[in-house]
Amino acid sequence: MPDIFVAKTPEKYKRINYKDLPSEKHNPLSSIVFTPENLRFESMDREEKVILFLRKHFITNIPWIIMATFMFLIPAFVQNLSLFDSIPDNFMFAFILIWYLISTAYFLESFLTWFFNVYIVTDERVVDIDFYNLIYKEVSDANIDRIQDVTYNMGGVVRTVFNYGDVMIQTASEVPNFEFQAVPKPDKVAKVLQDLRIEEQQEAIEGRVR
Amino acid sequence: MISFSIWPIIKIFIIIFLSIYIIFALVVVRQVQLMTKTLEVGFENQLKFLSIMHLMAAAGVLIFAILIL
Repeated sequence: MPDIFVAKTPEKYKRINYKDLPSEKHNPLSSIVFTPENLRFESMDREEKVILFLRKHFITNIPWIIMATFMFLIPAFVQNLSLFDSIPDNFMFAFILIWYLISTAYFLESFLTWFFNVYIVTDERVVDIDFYNLIYKEVSDANIDRIQDVTYNMGGVVRTVFNYGDVMIQTASEVPNFEFQAVPKPDKVAKVLQDLRIEEQQEAIEGRVR
Repeated sequence: MISFSIWPIIKIFIIIFLSIYIIFALVVVRQVQLMTKTLEVGFENQLKFLSIMHLMAAAGVLIFAILIL
């Protein structure tokens, strides 16, 4: 007897040819992962399958890494200046420790902002998780079948050399625009989204839920 | 003429600053907990460790400042 309904499996996506996208067992610091294992997010359904996990390209961290390195190195040069001779040694030592604390805070906040600002594409929806600062977060999502238009751009020398850019998604949902900023391989991301839209349209025609 | 030293006042400011900094470090610890609850990518323990170490360092500097200044 023929199967009337065949559930969609993750393998189905693995069969699709996305050779350039790193997949599954991934480095937690990587900026793009196709069908990642062990990835969960707060509003994820049990049957939902993560297809693509994205965050800003690592190269976008270079400015704050240079700044943090510079901040950590400053005390080594500054404490020998005659300008600070009038400061007692114990106070000078306390100021240096405070400076290192401030540098660590800068490093931590910059890293956490990069690490937790992520974009997730599942088999059902697009999710944008934003942590604007330490006390404000925003999670927005839109169903794949509500996506109307996907555009990507890669302007500039650095973006072209390191192959990253922005992917703009227009939707018919509550959140009209999603912008995946500075994500690696924007062309492949747009292709994945296009394939998922086709898949959703196919499901709608066939009357399948998943 | 009355001699006046500015360093005791600076010590008070340093202690106030470090006390506020500890509150900030506590917020970081709490926020890392919330972030790792929102998104699990397999790096949670390291981040929590880092934030707790940061809090302990801040507390250490405060105690150190009270003792040596």
